[in-house]
Amino acid sequence: MLLQHKNIYIVDDDESVCCSLKILLSTFDFDVKTFNSAQSFFNAVPNHEPGCLVLDIHMPGLDGWETQKRILASGSKRSIIFISAEKHENAAQQAVKVGAVGFLQKPFEGQELVDLINGALDKTNEQL
Amino acid sequence: MKQTKKEKKLLLPQETHSHLKEKVRKQTDELKIKNAQLQKGVDREKLADDQIHILTKAVESVLDGVFVVDAKTPDFPIIYANSSFYSLTGYTKKEILGKNYFLLCGFDVNERVSEEIKQILFQGKPYHGEIANLKKNGEKFSSLLRMAPIRDIQGEITHYVGIKTDITLMKEKDLEIENQREEILHVTRVGKLAEFVSSLAHEISQPLTSILSYAQAAQRIFAGREPQLQEILQYIVNDDHRAVEVIRRLRTLLKKSKPTFEPLDINTLITDTANLMMAHITARNKIIKLKLDDPLPMIQGDRIQLQQVILNLISNSLEAMEASRESRELMVETSLQGAGMILVEVKDSGCGIPLENMNKLFTHFFTSKPDGLGMGLSISRSIVEAHGGCLEAKNNPDGGATFYFTLPVNMKQDL
Repeated sequence: MLLQHKNIYIVDDDESVCCSLKILLSTFDFDVKTFNSAQSFFNAVPNHEPGCLVLDIHMPGLDGWETQKRILASGSKRSIIFISAEKHENAAQQAVKVGAVGFLQKPFEGQELVDLINGALDKTNEQL
Repeated sequence: MKQTKKEKKLLLPQETHSHLKEKVRKQTDELKIKNAQLQKGVDREKLADDQIHILTKAVESVLDGVFVVDAKTPDFPIIYANSSFYSLTGYTKKEILGKNYFLLCGFDVNERVSEEIKQILFQGKPYHGEIANLKKNGEKFSSLLRMAPIRDIQGEITHYVGIKTDITLMKEKDLEIENQREEILHVTRVGKLAEFVSSLAHEISQPLTSILSYAQAAQRIFAGREPQLQEILQYIVNDDHRAVEVIRRLRTLLKKSKPTFEPLDINTLITDTANLMMAHITARNKIIKLKLDDPLPMIQGDRIQLQQVILNLISNSLEAMEASRESRELMVETSLQGAGMILVEVKDSGCGIPLENMNKLFTHFFTSKPDGLGMGLSISRSIVEAHGGCLEAKNNPDGGATFYFTLPVNMKQDL
């Protein structure tokens, strides 16, 4: 039952970040899918499909904030964790304010990301 | 016989009379000529007097200090100075006339300068230079001094004539312009560096993220096994942390300074910036025209940052027109748009923007100049956006390009 909810989607325009996070999260037994743009994520993953989204902020085309707005507007309750290599003042507060799980400044410790993901999944499970 | 004698006698005075008459006439003529000559001399003298009078008046009326030094008397006394010289230096006639010029000058300014002037004059050459002076009351002033030798018919130097011009105001104005330019350049440099570091930090953080994730994944995969590999992986993780720390410190060091917002008149800002660049523009044989919609409501902004944007757009336009001799005109235009926005346009008659570059113009490190860093436009755009406006570019239908930006009108005031 729980396994079903261990889907993780990573959206980041940096190929290498996607690949490394996928390998790292796999060691924590998550089911990881990566996308190089928000558009390709929307194309591949339906809104109702469960899973937590790890979303890069700074991307060409649809950026992270815009993507999150769209997901929210679609009525989806998907948990979102923002990540960014750019220095964002108050990004953590901003992330929580718009309803995301949190924000991590790149580079971050694998454990930090896993803790956020687990927190988000627990919350989703409680809601279910 | 008596009769003849008498006759003769009578005849004689007659002859003498005509002779005398002739003599008188001759003398009168001579006198007339002499008189005329004399009159001419008087006229000439009068003319010379008039000339001297006018020349003296002219020298007295000149706003520059004019003075004459006797070069043949050993202690080089000042034998004449016009009234401007007195008002310029603050000394009275009594304090100046008869005084050794070089001593006075040496007392006034640096002794080395007065020695230098002396050496040049002694070689029979004219002197030209800017010197810092002191007035009698100790007040400092800058002057432009020109001195030249006066020679007699034999070519020997008899006097030196000097002209002293007060250039204090000019120097102050120059200094002010120079300071303003320095300030903008400094802000531009710091801004460029900050922007550069932030882009660099971003680019480097990406691979550091993946290196850390790969290493930590490997640590987990080999957990409890391969102690040697574990050690190496730990080194990778540690060094990744070290690099992250360097970036963090760089970022703190070059934090972009917060803009200070104040009410500004955009037209004044543009005029000031154009003045700052005037020498630069003229040197390139270009013309800048300002077409400013006046009056415009005030905007709220950071003076230095906005000047930086205008400066950047103007210098870009100048560079775009560099190649062509025909394209000379650069136009800065302001106008009030609907919805409380002010539009500023910088229009050049240069080579225009190639279509393939249009989308990349405002991205970091994009440049079409051989020595460009590709930061100017991206910084300009972020400044304009921080002010609540936007910066765009387009090609003109009649050639050249226009960069334009909007700024919101300061809503706190009555329009």
